[in-house]
Amino acid sequence: MRAKKIRRCIIIVVLLLILAIVLVPLLWCIVLSFDRKAVSALPEFSLIPHEFSIFNYQVAFTTIPLVRYYLNTIFVTVVHTVLAVFFALMCGYAFAKGRFIGKNFWFVFMLAVMMIPFESRMVPLYLQYKSWGLLDTYAPLLMGACAYVYGIFFSRQNIEAIPDSLRESAYIDGASEWRIFFQIIIPLSKPLIATLSILQVLSNWNSYLWPLVVLRSSEKQLISVGVSVFNAQQDAIYYGPRMAVAVISAIPLSIMFLFLQKYIVQSVAVSGIKQ
Amino acid sequence: MKNRQALKVKIKKQLVWYSFLVVSIVTLIVLTYIPMLTTIKYSFFDVQVLGFGEDRFVGFQNYQKIMNNSSFLKSIGNTFLLAFMGLVSIPVGFILASLINNIGRGKWQSFFRVGYYFPNIITGVSVVLIFQIVLKANGGLLNNALSLLTGREVAIGWLSDSHYSRFGATILGVWGSMGYSMLINLASLQSIPAEIYEAAEVDGANGFKQWWYITIPQMASCFAFLFITSIINGLARFSDLFIIGGNASAGRPGGTLQTILMYIYQFSFESPQYGIASAGAMILFVLTFVITLVNLKMTGFFKKKDV
Repeated sequence: MRAKKIRRCIIIVVLLLILAIVLVPLLWCIVLSFDRKAVSALPEFSLIPHEFSIFNYQVAFTTIPLVRYYLNTIFVTVVHTVLAVFFALMCGYAFAKGRFIGKNFWFVFMLAVMMIPFESRMVPLYLQYKSWGLLDTYAPLLMGACAYVYGIFFSRQNIEAIPDSLRESAYIDGASEWRIFFQIIIPLSKPLIATLSILQVLSNWNSYLWPLVVLRSSEKQLISVGVSVFNAQQDAIYYGPRMAVAVISAIPLSIMFLFLQKYIVQSVAVSGIKQ
Repeated sequence: MKNRQALKVKIKKQLVWYSFLVVSIVTLIVLTYIPMLTTIKYSFFDVQVLGFGEDRFVGFQNYQKIMNNSSFLKSIGNTFLLAFMGLVSIPVGFILASLINNIGRGKWQSFFRVGYYFPNIITGVSVVLIFQIVLKANGGLLNNALSLLTGREVAIGWLSDSHYSRFGATILGVWGSMGYSMLINLASLQSIPAEIYEAAEVDGANGFKQWWYITIPQMASCFAFLFITSIINGLARFSDLFIIGGNASAGRPGGTLQTILMYIYQFSFESPQYGIASAGAMILFVLTFVITLVNLKMTGFFKKKDV
């Protein structure tokens, strides 16, 4: 028993050490972002800033419209997530409980999309939006949300597990499918909704290629692209401000993660296994 | 008369179910299937970019051009090389998961689960910004640590020297993805029934034997899953390498970091030749398609639907 306890302690210490190494880059980044010395030269590694100041953040906020990027990204992420999850639940419900002609066909029709990587249809999609005059708007970023294929598959699996008896009793009371969907299925699918929303927020906040392609004007840009443009302009120097920008763009998801860590870790683990 | 009414009710029921699906179906047709078919079409045409003149059918010429193009072949090579180097995250994740699993459920376990997963949450762009400094030739953290360990001055440009850039890009990638790998490994480890281990203990199998004969075989499907997903993600790698190259798709330094997708981007948006880009996109599609198909087959996806 004693040997076991000692072994456990050793493992914990080893894990703590590795974790420290893994997280050191983040720590250094935060330190540099507050260091007045880190502007044109890279200061020595230290655990606290050489000369504490918020200068770097002032520079970051004045050189690029960070607040604007923030609001844009939040807007796109929220709308995309709501659309994607809502339509995924609708389809999931129909595939799980519905009885209609062509059900299998449409299910395969949707799942087949998982094998078509977005990147391989990017150019025609871009030209399509161009011909509709929708480039440089948020339409190209949001319209795709109406068919969240993985979410549909995942919703079907989860909604199938809801017992039919609930639906039948509502049926007898004369409820329509839509009412059953809104009053029974959605309230019973809260964990499912949470999981899909988390996965959506994570992937949307980090989306890069498509916004880079379809958004032209800089004030409409999302934070990921906006920050990378700033980074490319400041090649080589401006260490502190660049780290300040890195911190700012990483903060929202980090805060969300701190509050929802349990759910996020679970959502990711579950989605991985069931995929 | 009665029949007709029954028919009406039936049709109405069908329509109700279709009303749940119609938006997604239309979206997929317009935004996925039509563009995909257009990609196939473009790959056989000489597409006129500016809208002057007619598109001309050229057969397999685009494919011929692209397969004889050394920078495209190089980008395929880069993509696979980087994808395979990125697989390091699987053993790393497995080792971490084994250690974390060993300390038993409780506060420490959830702490490590969350702690190691945290890098995964950091935005893609932030990771590049941070690692451009961590992997810097002079004064970067990694070189500092190496200098300290070897006792010699190390000044490797992990992201700026074309000899080392793939290692640098892999360090950055693995740092971001090992948390995910750890999480999946851990969940899989914890789903191995404890009875198997108990039975082995009764039979006198020691720790290493248990690990080799029970844990590893039980984890096979998890490894396969991570292998496939990480290859598929690797095939579509773009953002971080694009940013490392200074927001350009040339794959700097020295074209060593140009992936297939960056090549496609170059011929789509930097020097547009849609025919060439579409031929590249088709090759990317076929590669992804084949790997996904293998994946679905392995996970028994097709079997489930027959039931």
